[in-house]
Amino acid sequence: MPAGLIIVVIVAALCVAGLVDADSTLRKSNAKGDGWRNEIAKTVASVTDTLHINFFRSSIDSALGKNQGTKIDVEELLRQQAEAEIAASAEAAKKVPELPAPTPATPMKIWVGGDSITQTFGISFQRITQSTGIFTPTLDYHISTGLSRPDYYNWPEHLVKDVLPTNPSILVIMFGANDGQNMIGANGKVLERTSEPWMTEYRRRVAATMDLLKSPDNQRITIWCGPPPMGPGTKTRGMDQMSYIYWSEAQSRPWIQYFDTWPFFSDANFVFAASLPNADGVVRGMRQKDNIHFSTVGGDRLSWAVIDRIGKLVDLSAGKVTPPAGQAPPASLVERSEIPPSMPGAE
Amino acid sequence: MLFPTVDFAVFFLVVFTGSWLLRPHKIAWRWFILASSFVFYGWWDWNYLVLLSLSIGINWFLGLAVFRSLTPEGERTNISRWLVRIAVVVNLGILGYFKYFDFFISTITDKMRSIGISVDAPILNIILPIGISFFIFQAISYVIDIGRGQWRKPLTILDFAVYLSFFAHLVAGPIVRASEFAPQLDALPDPRYVRSAEAFMLIFRGMFKKVVISSFLAIQIVDPVFANPNAYGPLAVLLAIYAYAIQIYADFSGYTDIAIGVALLLGIRFPQNFDSPYKALSLQDFWSRWHMTLSRWLRDYLYIPLGGNRGSKAMTYRNLFLVMIIGGLWHGANWTFVVWGAIHGSYLVAERIVKEKWKGHELGLPPLLVKAMQWFLVFNVVCLAWVFFRATSVDEAFALLGRLFASSGSSAGVSLLLILVIVGSVASQFVPQRFPQKAEVWFATWAPALQIAALAGGLVLVDALGPEGIAPFIYFQF
Repeated sequence: MPAGLIIVVIVAALCVAGLVDADSTLRKSNAKGDGWRNEIAKTVASVTDTLHINFFRSSIDSALGKNQGTKIDVEELLRQQAEAEIAASAEAAKKVPELPAPTPATPMKIWVGGDSITQTFGISFQRITQSTGIFTPTLDYHISTGLSRPDYYNWPEHLVKDVLPTNPSILVIMFGANDGQNMIGANGKVLERTSEPWMTEYRRRVAATMDLLKSPDNQRITIWCGPPPMGPGTKTRGMDQMSYIYWSEAQSRPWIQYFDTWPFFSDANFVFAASLPNADGVVRGMRQKDNIHFSTVGGDRLSWAVIDRIGKLVDLSAGKVTPPAGQAPPASLVERSEIPPSMPGAE
Repeated sequence: MLFPTVDFAVFFLVVFTGSWLLRPHKIAWRWFILASSFVFYGWWDWNYLVLLSLSIGINWFLGLAVFRSLTPEGERTNISRWLVRIAVVVNLGILGYFKYFDFFISTITDKMRSIGISVDAPILNIILPIGISFFIFQAISYVIDIGRGQWRKPLTILDFAVYLSFFAHLVAGPIVRASEFAPQLDALPDPRYVRSAEAFMLIFRGMFKKVVISSFLAIQIVDPVFANPNAYGPLAVLLAIYAYAIQIYADFSGYTDIAIGVALLLGIRFPQNFDSPYKALSLQDFWSRWHMTLSRWLRDYLYIPLGGNRGSKAMTYRNLFLVMIIGGLWHGANWTFVVWGAIHGSYLVAERIVKEKWKGHELGLPPLLVKAMQWFLVFNVVCLAWVFFRATSVDEAFALLGRLFASSGSSAGVSLLLILVIVGSVASQFVPQRFPQKAEVWFATWAPALQIAALAGGLVLVDALGPEGIAPFIYFQF
């Protein structure tokens, strides 16, 4: 085929595909925050919407069960929650929930979930909590998710509709790694990641999600794990700022206990470290090759640290909760008492 | 810039148009392709361009110096030999710094800690520039070929820069030789006869393999199982191992297909890099089908200089083993790659010994059954080696293999669709080459409007079946 005709074929094929795929392109563009490219994506999407060209793609998506939800109706979810909370004692909600001590005969339901980082951590956590003999764990991670993209995965809705009805006493939750991307604000505007308006909207979503997790009888604790520091080359952003948001929002919510993962996966200067010594002094790789996700060793380390934290809130003496030195972090490692708004040099 | 993105589509439209318009003007065309390649590479990180420019300058200069130190008949001299050695050391030094420095330091400090000596190690957390292994290997081949008198005409610095940085092969190969690429710079392909049907089929096939097959397998089973094998039972682990074999093939050959297709649209033909490797009946056969341009690089610039099969049998075996170990290390600084190379090296040696011992002996079994058994053995050895290639550490690889014999564990991720994708992908290796070729010929007869519809439909389908984002190609990290 002549080169001149090829360019016509390529341009035409790209244009047709671009029009049919406009909604998908806009979703990705919104997430990345492409500036002028985002404006083009919006314009193209509005044209295809008007002409109903997006029907083809949405039919395929519908057949595949993809990209169905587009909005996060936190207000509605909160309203439903509020109705259930009428019976709850306002006074009780001001205290850290006091949960009964689990025993092998009466194990405690514990749920662990979040994004892909929770995958390795959660699998370790599930295995280790199971081995204590006093927990009944459930793992519920969803890759590439967070609070930024409810169109991709609506966590608040999932928590209210699918998780809370199972009545876990403890939830261990971790987000953040995928959230350093642009968001659509309440007014439909794209909020550039880590900008002031973005921070405000993200804080609102975090606060709303935390509120959803409050139980009417104040008999549920959520351990909200901040994201660990990310290694070089990961292109993630804002882990430190998101940690600050989680921590500061947790301060006014006794049912949310913020867990600071940062010191457990960084060096003495709070800088990312791929390999670290466990309590036995042996240095092991804590992260996978991508410098984001935990290795199995890293997952085990965090699991024992979180169990230790739970042990400070609930009597776990009936279970086997003494960690092997080769799996647990050194006893000298502790969470920070206060999380700074940002960390210089953090990815 | 990743191939299956809008950014690349726009970039390529500009390059395609500019390239064919400027092709009759040889110098202008070269500058245009060079500038395009720099934009493509700099899109990741503009700092990378410094390293690429340095590599171009140093290797061009060394190539010229080597050429001038040869005798008028093109024979080697002591000076030329030393200059080639310097070129190899400089290139491997650059590669070593970026790729192996931290590995080396951490290995030493770990050893010292194990004997009670605490060392404050200067781990630099060096970021590996994308594709460095590929362009460094190409640069080495250029200087060595000149030193051997095989490539008698040093390129101009502009031609060399275009050769080394050409965007289609820059970040993940194929590893193209100057003797294959440079003549195409001077050729004037006829713009009336571009092999568009072949190129379009390659690009679509590559995108489908990468975006749909590779991503599906990674998300569905490979990543979860390799991240925590202890949670999974034997069936999930076995399928994850097979799935990874398909994933890495789909990912890497998918990239290569796109690269070859893109270059073909610009009138440049790259060498083939994959030839249905999973239908190999021996490991030697596998290596003549898998990453073929790396295999021949290792053969010509490592195996043969080490003595190849010219010495005793023991020396041949040693050379084979060493080449595979070094080939493993080329992929990265980790003991897992050493083990991967050792498995391949050991099996290649064992294969030769067995072949020599059994030469002329008949097993008395039907030939088809013998072939099936050979295939099964080779495929599973390759899959076994991939476990070490994929695992974060040797311990984790053994932990995963141990789960094959576990009595319990989750089967999460196992589904009929997964099994169909794995089986279908393996089966596709046995499809005769003439079928896709016939499809290309048939596609070429379609009217342009039909081709437009088919290409647009293909793009939409790939996007719909793929995940929300495009993961980087696995081989970028090498």
